[in-house]
Amino acid sequence: MDTKYLFFVGKGGVGKSSTSALTALFNAEQGKELLLVSMDPAHNQCDIFENKFSQKEKKITDKLGIIEIDLDFWIKRYLKDTKEHIKRVYAYQSAFNLSSYFKILKYSPGLEEYALLLAFEDIVKKYDKKKDIIIFDMPPTALTLRFFSLPFITLVWLGELLKLRKEIVQKKEIVSKISLGKNFSIETDKIKTKLEEMIDRNEKLNNFFVSDKIGINLVLNYDKLSFVEAKRLKKSLEDLGIKIEKLVVNRIENENYVNEIKKEFENDNILLFKKASFPLSGVNNLRNYINEYMK
Amino acid sequence: MFDLKMFWCSFDEIQRGKATDILEWELGELENIFSIIVMGQFIGFPAPPPQITFELLPYMEDNLHIMISKVGTAHDPLGELFSVLDID
Repeated sequence: MDTKYLFFVGKGGVGKSSTSALTALFNAEQGKELLLVSMDPAHNQCDIFENKFSQKEKKITDKLGIIEIDLDFWIKRYLKDTKEHIKRVYAYQSAFNLSSYFKILKYSPGLEEYALLLAFEDIVKKYDKKKDIIIFDMPPTALTLRFFSLPFITLVWLGELLKLRKEIVQKKEIVSKISLGKNFSIETDKIKTKLEEMIDRNEKLNNFFVSDKIGINLVLNYDKLSFVEAKRLKKSLEDLGIKIEKLVVNRIENENYVNEIKKEFENDNILLFKKASFPLSGVNNLRNYINEYMK
Repeated sequence: MFDLKMFWCSFDEIQRGKATDILEWELGELENIFSIIVMGQFIGFPAPPPQITFELLPYMEDNLHIMISKVGTAHDPLGELFSVLDID
């Protein structure tokens, strides 16, 4: 089966978690194999489903599994692997001096979104073609934008570093040719190889984000602040080549302004979630909502 | 005959060394610039996304040594250049 990846993005508090939970449960009840992944460090899915989740898939119904991404786990694992790698290849003294830096590196800005990216790659590796739909309940705008733009920004840096590395390798070859004469041999530059490997990986991720496999559902409420931020998010994602597939208007009380939203966002693909008259928590209440408002 | 061969080998080696001196100095500078860009966050430079630094770090032990040795001559870059060019 071809897996579709749906991302629920938007301003904090507009209802990304509840609309993604309802969409997941609705599709699972239609017989589709569903995985709902909570990427938001604030993790609301446990409150919505009144259940505890972890990084291991927990089945809520026959067809719906839920996972909560633990960012700390990914940051710690990544730094530990890097440290082990350095210890293996460095002479003792250098590794010893560097180890003191690792204590503070976990607080480096930018590691949070990279941890999200690692978790995302892991989900794709484990569940691609095994689920019909994987829904990601994303963190608020700032972190979501950094997540989607990371492969692009990384590629810009890697491109420049590779140019410089190629110049270094070229000069090394000239020095080696002159010094060794006939005995000259070309040694593989490990840094250049690693840079090329990283470029390949980030290009794949970048292409994945702009492919048809991805669907971005932009969640908003009918209020000015939510509107303004949703438009900014739409523009920033479009600058990265990522298109909004659907607009998800949550807590709707009056359908009169739907046309205004369609016009404002130049998108006719719109999903409406009416304001519930009861709290949206627990599978039974979610089912009641689906039966009352979504069928 | 043997002495002549030895002489020629040493002469060849010295000339080759002279020819690469400047190139090797330039190479060291380029390696240093590369390290400073990759590890900019350690010295307050605009830094690349941290995973680039972390993933290249295991392959950069030699670069770290070059960077540290360059610190010693950083206060007098012209002096270093003149010594490479054999100018007193």
